[in-house]
Amino acid sequence: MEKKKESLFDSNFREILASELVSIAGGLIAGSLLAWYTNQLILLPGILILLPGFLEMRGNISGSFASRISSGLFLKVIKPNRIKTHIIKGNLLASFFLALVVSLTLGILAFAFNYFFLQLVTWKIIIIPLIAGIIANAIEIPLTLFTTLYLFKKGYDPNNIMAPFITSTGDVISIVALLIGVFIL
Amino acid sequence: MKRIHHDLKKVQKLERKKYHPLIHQVHKKHQISKRTLFYIKEYGSHSHVPRTIIRESIKILIFASILSSLGGLAFEQIKEIFISITPLIILLPTLNGMIGGYGGIFSSKFATLLHEHKQKETLKKALKKLMLQLLIISLITAFSASLLALGISSLKHPATPNLAAKIIAITLIDTLLLITILFCISIGAGIYVWKKQEDPNNFLIPITTSIADFGNMIILAVLIVLFF
Repeated sequence: MEKKKESLFDSNFREILASELVSIAGGLIAGSLLAWYTNQLILLPGILILLPGFLEMRGNISGSFASRISSGLFLKVIKPNRIKTHIIKGNLLASFFLALVVSLTLGILAFAFNYFFLQLVTWKIIIIPLIAGIIANAIEIPLTLFTTLYLFKKGYDPNNIMAPFITSTGDVISIVALLIGVFIL
Repeated sequence: MKRIHHDLKKVQKLERKKYHPLIHQVHKKHQISKRTLFYIKEYGSHSHVPRTIIRESIKILIFASILSSLGGLAFEQIKEIFISITPLIILLPTLNGMIGGYGGIFSSKFATLLHEHKQKETLKKALKKLMLQLLIISLITAFSASLLALGISSLKHPATPNLAAKIIAITLIDTLLLITILFCISIGAGIYVWKKQEDPNNFLIPITTSIADFGNMIILAVLIVLFF
């Protein structure tokens, strides 16, 4: 019986728990920013329609980006000291392009839902995620690349560290970028 | 060595979509893993890297955006109640990230278990252990997150014991329900994809994270209406 308990709380358990505790810290900082700027951000019609997708985008795009770079590093197809290769350049370009497309899609969806379900016409809701997407990904994508390469050079497995890193930094960067987008417009 | 380079050049020239027997031959002959050969074929010097990535990702990303926006729409409907409860605003990004994260962990680990070709009994045992571990961890993190959110929000307005109990209950119920749904979807879809002789990783991770986000917004919205 005791042996069963021991195996349940193994190193796997500890690793997942530690990484999840790190990622909830980023989420709480982002949530606190949302609560602090409720009047400027959440009161905007349709912002809650695009918010979950906007927060998810960093995991879907930067997470896959980090994972592809990590695989390339382990397979020795990518060298940690050489950034100007066609694989890395292609990955950067594709990630930025996907981020722009997803941001625009989210904006259009929020506009459409606002129009059809809430009978509101708010053009701003298309532009805000686009501006925020450009700002957030201009920070997040290079940060992901350099952190992945740095971790690999230091002998760590980026796969174990990048997911919680992207979640925690991405949440904060995304909310700050959305706030900047709102303030610009 | 020259022979390896020659064979790898041939792999690079393969058409991206099709499985080619050359991969198996090079794998057997030079002991290069199939994963390496797949990567070389996919992102080799002949391939247009951005086009390959965009083509493979765009559909699932747009699908995920639609699903998330539908979840967000449910939340937009109860905006007035939502913004009056500060701890819930603080918890929203945390819950979304956390549950999506567990979906991703479970999917990738389940896919690895399937790839390892374990016997049915061993697979069942490993799966049971993984589910128990994730359930315990998710309850610990959900409870800690709700306590921290209550602590942070008390800097603005201290929560009453009744409100605090409701916030903790909502967080725990939401997490438990979604984790259970994600287990069922991952196992069902994972086995289905595996039987079709495809890699469950490519399908399970994006689908579970999207369902986690969508489900989280819907269940949270229902719980807020029920509790407040």
